[in-house]
Amino acid sequence: MSLKTKKARGIERLKIRYGRMFILPWFIGLLLFFLIPLVSSIAYAFSKVDLSNGISMKFIGLENFKTLLGTNPDYERNIRAAVSSFFTSLPIILSLSLIFAVVLNQKFRGRLLARAIFFLPVIIATGVVMQYIMGNKIGSSGSASGAALSTALGGGDSAMRFSAVLTKLGLPDRVTLLLNDYIADVFNLIWSCGIQILLFVAGMQSIPDQMYEVSKIEGATTWEEFWYVTFPMLGNVILLVLIYTMVDQITAYDNPVMNQAYDFVGKNIDMYGDSAAALWLYFVIVGVLSGIVLFAYQRVFLRRWN
Amino acid sequence: MKKVMKSPLQFNKQYRQVVGSVFYRLFRLFLLVAVGYTIISPLLQVISNSLKSGADFTDSSVSWIPTSLYWENFSDAFRLMKYPQALLRTMLVPILSGLFEVVSCGVAAYSFARFKYPERNLMYVLLILMILVPVRITLLPSYVNYRYFDFFGLSKLLGKVVGKDLTLNLIDTPFTFYLPSFFGVGYQSGLFVLIYIQFLKGIPKELEEAAWIDGAGPVKTFAQIIVPSSGVAILTVSILSVIWHWNEYYLSGLYFKNPDKYPLAVAMDRLVATVDLNHNIPSPVGTMMAGCLMFILPLLVFYLIVQKNFIKSIDRVGIVG
Repeated sequence: MSLKTKKARGIERLKIRYGRMFILPWFIGLLLFFLIPLVSSIAYAFSKVDLSNGISMKFIGLENFKTLLGTNPDYERNIRAAVSSFFTSLPIILSLSLIFAVVLNQKFRGRLLARAIFFLPVIIATGVVMQYIMGNKIGSSGSASGAALSTALGGGDSAMRFSAVLTKLGLPDRVTLLLNDYIADVFNLIWSCGIQILLFVAGMQSIPDQMYEVSKIEGATTWEEFWYVTFPMLGNVILLVLIYTMVDQITAYDNPVMNQAYDFVGKNIDMYGDSAAALWLYFVIVGVLSGIVLFAYQRVFLRRWN
Repeated sequence: MKKVMKSPLQFNKQYRQVVGSVFYRLFRLFLLVAVGYTIISPLLQVISNSLKSGADFTDSSVSWIPTSLYWENFSDAFRLMKYPQALLRTMLVPILSGLFEVVSCGVAAYSFARFKYPERNLMYVLLILMILVPVRITLLPSYVNYRYFDFFGLSKLLGKVVGKDLTLNLIDTPFTFYLPSFFGVGYQSGLFVLIYIQFLKGIPKELEEAAWIDGAGPVKTFAQIIVPSSGVAILTVSILSVIWHWNEYYLSGLYFKNPDKYPLAVAMDRLVATVDLNHNIPSPVGTMMAGCLMFILPLLVFYLIVQKNFIKSIDRVGIVG
């Protein structure tokens, strides 16, 4: 008996060593390419950074944050907008992509074609071409041909066309404007669902068929089947999708806070400290919110399902 | 003979089911068509615009179909982006980085999924942090890091001994992408580690335990049991990695200063500016759209080749755990 536990403990110790061995290369890379830059960027946020001759920093405490909040009314507004769009688009993207994934997972004619089309955003949406398609790139470039292009495309062209239809229908202007906003958003939202759909479909495929057979024998309807089999079985995938979507929303390049922080650097090279402060304050806020969402999800859902 | 009588209740239920399924089919059709349109129409718009001459853009009677197919757009974009050179330079980066990431993220995920050690939770928190922290926060420090690349201060130390500056300048070289991929660092790599972890949780442990009992070491177990049984996860990760590295333009825009070294994505990103500088381009918008098409073309070809396997692999990849 005691021999056995001793042996088991030996294996445990061995496993600890092997686990460390396998994580070591990743950790070295993490130090070199992530933690060191991360720490220096925190240092920047509390300093006056001078880039004119190499990099020199002077510690100025909370000065950057004070000027940021004191003299930049835009900043607070942008943060508020970013946070509210974070909370509205997160559930919408999640449920939309879940619905699409359920549909794409069923058997129907033309399923392969439908999947090929639905996964197209995976290829394009992460790239520079997307900016051209949406007209962001061109609109913001402020150039002559840029202006021509953005009128040619109308910046998110489908949305424009819908709004033209709405105006023709004779709806009151207020309603048209409101609907128009939603439609422009729908366009964005659908294009940012690619990876999520992919992960969901992959997850659904790996739910064993027996589960569905049992639920059929028990007399469950399709609706119940979804809520009591598919949804709980997707618990971990939903977590993955949640993380991906949050990152995608936080770091999106058209995010107003991001652009503002970037503008600091663009306007004046001395403002890197301010830019770092702006980004860090934003990240702390959003990071805490994401942490709460993740924690709540794990506590409320995953625990119950397990 | 027994007469089968349907009770009104039963009939009602059946009737409801039929109506429900018809409605559902209509709903599904509507959804597929609407979303398909949202995805396809901007692409068609790009194709149509890429074939328009300068006059077509000002002519309000031309919306989708250009008056004549204006192929010069493509040759202009080809010239301005220095397409062949940029393409050749770019080809290798996604392939090598993808290869590195497939291995490094897999190894890290193996450690996360299969071993218990005191630091694991801390590592997991760092992994999530690595994914969540926006790239822009570490932009300047990363740039400095690559400009004066130094392996934990060793080069500096050695440089002091020799009396020369031994730090490496990695700016304008693809090592800015190879190195993080090699170690599995970066937010995309972090997502790949997560995907692998989910997948590994789904593989039964019995095989590995049998291998352990047979005296196989962890490296052997990893190479001969884990790798062969995670083909689908490897395929998914490698495809996503190739696509994301191909599309990456934000960091490359920072790390590549010399226009002759631009990867294709950066050349594409700068096309608006390039077109503006060349006043004699007859159809600027058409040229940009042609550039877009030429940029995604290799990726589309790649997608068409792998998509059948890809979609099949998604059918089988077990990331539920």
